[in-house]
Amino acid sequence: MNKISVEAPSEIRSIRKISSEILKSLSPYDVDKDRLFDIRLCTEEALRNAIVHGNKADKDLHIKVRYWIETGKIAIEIEDEGAGFDPAAVADPTENSNIMKGSGRGIYLIRKLMDRVDYNKKGNTIRMEKALK
Amino acid sequence: MAVKIESKNDITICRAEGEIDITSSPELKKTLDKLLAQKTPKIVIDLVKVTYVDSSGLATLVGILKSVRSYGGKMRLAGLSPKIKSLFEITKLDKLFEIAASAEEAIAGF
Repeated sequence: MNKISVEAPSEIRSIRKISSEILKSLSPYDVDKDRLFDIRLCTEEALRNAIVHGNKADKDLHIKVRYWIETGKIAIEIEDEGAGFDPAAVADPTENSNIMKGSGRGIYLIRKLMDRVDYNKKGNTIRMEKALK
Repeated sequence: MAVKIESKNDITICRAEGEIDITSSPELKKTLDKLLAQKTPKIVIDLVKVTYVDSSGLATLVGILKSVRSYGGKMRLAGLSPKIKSLFEITKLDKLFEIAASAEEAIAGF
């Protein structure tokens, strides 16, 4: 698969639209349903963070998504137009003091479910990878 | 997503169906808020027909549990698929919630 680029407004409905496109692109690769679940979940969590936290749901701002398959894995990059954040500063949602809180689980799940997760220096682009088998 | 409410003696069963994500979580919260306002003492949320939960869904369920506990009520989750249960395990929410294999088991345990 060649690298595919998508740009979308910072709207909640962009989340499902983009994740569906990515999952559809995986249909020729015979990916099992648990992996598809993980890829969908992590894509949607990262998109939500980009839209809600990065772009502050400002519809004039866009998110840029690039995805491609190489050496048996999918790579997904999601970029927002926000100021960026420090992923290391996000509290561990599994700690007793945070377990009842509403936030922080999205990033945590991405780290746990994807094979590799990196951010750019500014903290406004996430790159995730997951093997397809 | 749809939620059906049933009562069995003093236990209220909420049978959710579909996906609990950023779009549908507010619906679940709205439905449960009515039960919480009435301080419903025993609630089972049956997820056997739920196929997808994201972090918004998890946060919504945590918020509901918090409210139920605030008035001394009890709440159990039931019927989680292995994949959805794994999300609770990864996030250690399986230690926070009482989770039963089925709604029947959750009801019997009260």
